[in-house]
Order: sequence, then structure tokens, then C-alpha cells
Amino acid sequence: MLISLIVVIIGLILVYLSPLDYQQGLTVKIMYIHVPSAWLALLTYTIMTIYSIIGIAFKIPFSFIVNKAVAPIGAVFTLLCLISGSLWGKPMWGTWWVWDARLTSVAILLLIYLIIIFLNQTFENRDVREKTIAIFIIIGSINLPIIKFSVDWWNTLHQPASVSKLSSPSMDSSMLQPLLVMTVAFSLVGLIIAILRIKAEILIRKNN
Amino acid sequence: MIFIKKIFLLFRRELKLSYTNIVDLFSNILFFFLSIFIFVFALGTDEQLLRTIGLGIIWSLLLLSSTLSLRKFYEEDFNNGVLIIMHMRGMSYELIVLLKILSHFLFVQVPFLISIPLASILFNLSMYEVYNLMVTFVIGSLILSCLGSMSASMNLLNKANFSIGGIIVLLFSIPIIIFSVGINEAGSDFMSLINILIGIALIFLGISPWASATFIRLAIKNT
Repeated sequence: MLISLIVVIIGLILVYLSPLDYQQGLTVKIMYIHVPSAWLALLTYTIMTIYSIIGIAFKIPFSFIVNKAVAPIGAVFTLLCLISGSLWGKPMWGTWWVWDARLTSVAILLLIYLIIIFLNQTFENRDVREKTIAIFIIIGSINLPIIKFSVDWWNTLHQPASVSKLSSPSMDSSMLQPLLVMTVAFSLVGLIIAILRIKAEILIRKNN
Repeated sequence: MIFIKKIFLLFRRELKLSYTNIVDLFSNILFFFLSIFIFVFALGTDEQLLRTIGLGIIWSLLLLSSTLSLRKFYEEDFNNGVLIIMHMRGMSYELIVLLKILSHFLFVQVPFLISIPLASILFNLSMYEVYNLMVTFVIGSLILSCLGSMSASMNLLNKANFSIGGIIVLLFSIPIIIFSVGINEAGSDFMSLINILIGIALIFLGISPWASATFIRLAIKNT
């Protein structure tokens, strides 16, 4: 908990000190929220997919607990990504929303998260509920590669990935460092919330 | 030989059932036409506008009206125990699901084809567009049957939340609508888009028997 607090503070300081973009001015700092939350939204869904496959194949109840605990976190990060993206898009592109491949597929990811949360409230029988959600998550993971490669497959307004090219990142190190620190900070915050929710879920199940 | 006979018997039973429930099919088609009328009332009768957006409207209304009849995909067979009896006669659930999908495609979606030329007369679509619409609907409705099987078997034990089945079908039918409406502007890329649609159909034909059979097993175990 303390480590993540320190990392968040260091990240915020680095973001404050980071240089302004010569074209975008101050709005470039939205990136330090936008990119980590988008990354975490995808990471959360990937974790849920892996845990669903493990849970169905080996019948481990812990993975269903993880699925239930992690889904709202992913939904919140996706929402954060969409909101910060549209706040960034208004001054840069001139609109809040365009029907672009990347934006639309992330919006569909938000819908999938919401369906998962709704399915959690739907069924009465716990066994049915968990397995249904796990299979739905596996089927819905078709969306993940579409999000990842949408900027390469279609000509879009959204810019292509500039961090993941590990050999030569097309970004200056003065901007890359705060971005990476913020990503680590976001991941740690998400991890802490996930651990708390998993603990609470296990306690609830123990009492029943 | 006995195996083929079983499959034949199942198809004959489905045909009989859909013949007795033919009013249901017709009311789906009626819903489709009524929603077209409502669209036209809402947009006004500008012929040029209707011709440009007609294809998209027809496709989205076909999707919406095919989600209406989803709940009875498995529910009757599940409630009166036909699914279990068929399983006990030596058919795996995956095979039953595959046959149900094919019979739903043949006896529910294909009769829907007669409504498409009528609807395209209402929108003044050209002959080329009607042809595209028919071809894409034949492939797309197979995908819709697969999706319907998945969402119907998912909601067998769901007594509270009725709209989630339709939501799931609409969510996964987004690629169908993209490619089948986009085929109109494709020009020389016609065959490649058709191939993409067939590819999606094969993917869902592979996934849905497995997923639906798992859902049905879960539902039978927990009732």
C-alpha cells in the first residue's frame, strides 16, 4: 500500500515536470491518465480470460472469485479511458466522439464489462452464474485482438501504438519515463483494489 | 443408418413444431414490417433519403426482429424434458445443438427471406442491392442462429432478467452488420467480403455448439 502511494506521488511529480508538446500544449498531459487506464482495461480483461479458462478447465473456484472481483475495476478503467480520451479529443480533433475503429471497439469493451456485471446479479444459482460468466468472458475475448490491432488494420484518427515498440519507442524519454511510472502506479492501485475485493469476496463465501 | 434416421426424425419434429407455431413466425414478420413503417413515419417520406439509408435500416430491423423469438429456442424442449431424452438416446449435446441451429436456420430464418424483397420495394432499393441483401442475409442468418442458440441456452435458468439474451445477440452481431452493409460499396471486393462473412459463420458454428452444450449441461445439473 505504501509502495503504491510513493509510486503514485513520484508519477504525479514526473508528470508535473514533464515537457509540454510543441503542438498540443498542456493537453498532452491527459495522456498520462489516458494511456495507463486503457492499458489496464485491456490487462484486466486478459487476466479475466486467463482465469476463466483455468477455472473451467481445472474447476478452481478461486478463479471465479477473481472474475467477480475484477470486473468492476476493468469497467471503471475503461470508462476512465473513454472519458479522458473524449476530453482530449475535444481540443485536438474538434469532437467529443468519432466513429473510429479504436474508439468503437473500446466502447464495446465497456459494454462487455457492463454485461458481465449485470450477469453477476442475474442468476440465483452460484455454480450456474460463475460458469456462465466464465464462458461469456472467453467468447467476448474476441474483442481483445480487435482493439489491439484496430489502429493497424484500419486507417484511423487514433494514432498507432508508440510505446509497445520496445526496440525503438517513438517517444522522447522525458515523456516516456513519467508515462511508464504512471502505468506502474495505476497497475499497483488496481492490484490493491483487486486484492481488497478478493479478500471481501472470500470472507463473504466463508460466512455462507 | 440408425444415426441418420435419428437426425431425420429430429428435423421432421422441428418442421412439425414450426408448422404448428407458424403464427409466431408470421407475427415476427409483421413486427418487421410495422417497424419499417414506424421508421418511415419518423424520418419522413423523402425518397432519396430512404434509398440511401434503406439497406442499413432493413438489416438492423432484421436483427431486432430475429431477437424476438429467441426465448423459445430451447425453453420448451428443456422444460418438457425432450433434451434429456434425446441425450439418453445416444446423441451428444453438441450434436443436438448443431441440429437445432440448422433447423432454426431452415425453418425460422429462411422463411424470413420472403419478406426482404417486399421490404426493399418499400424503400425503392435497386436490384443489385436486393441481391446483395439476400446473399448476405442467407449467411448472416446462420450466424444469427448460432448466436441465438448461445444466448438462449445461457438464459435457460434466468428467471429475472429477460432482456440480457437480446443484448448478447446484438453485441456479437456487430461484425455481421459491418460487413454485410459494407458489401454494397465494395465493388470489386465483393467476394472478399463474402469470404469474411463465411469465415465469421464458420467461427461461430465452431464455438456455439461447445458453448451451448456447456450451458445446457449446467442448466440440467442445477434444476
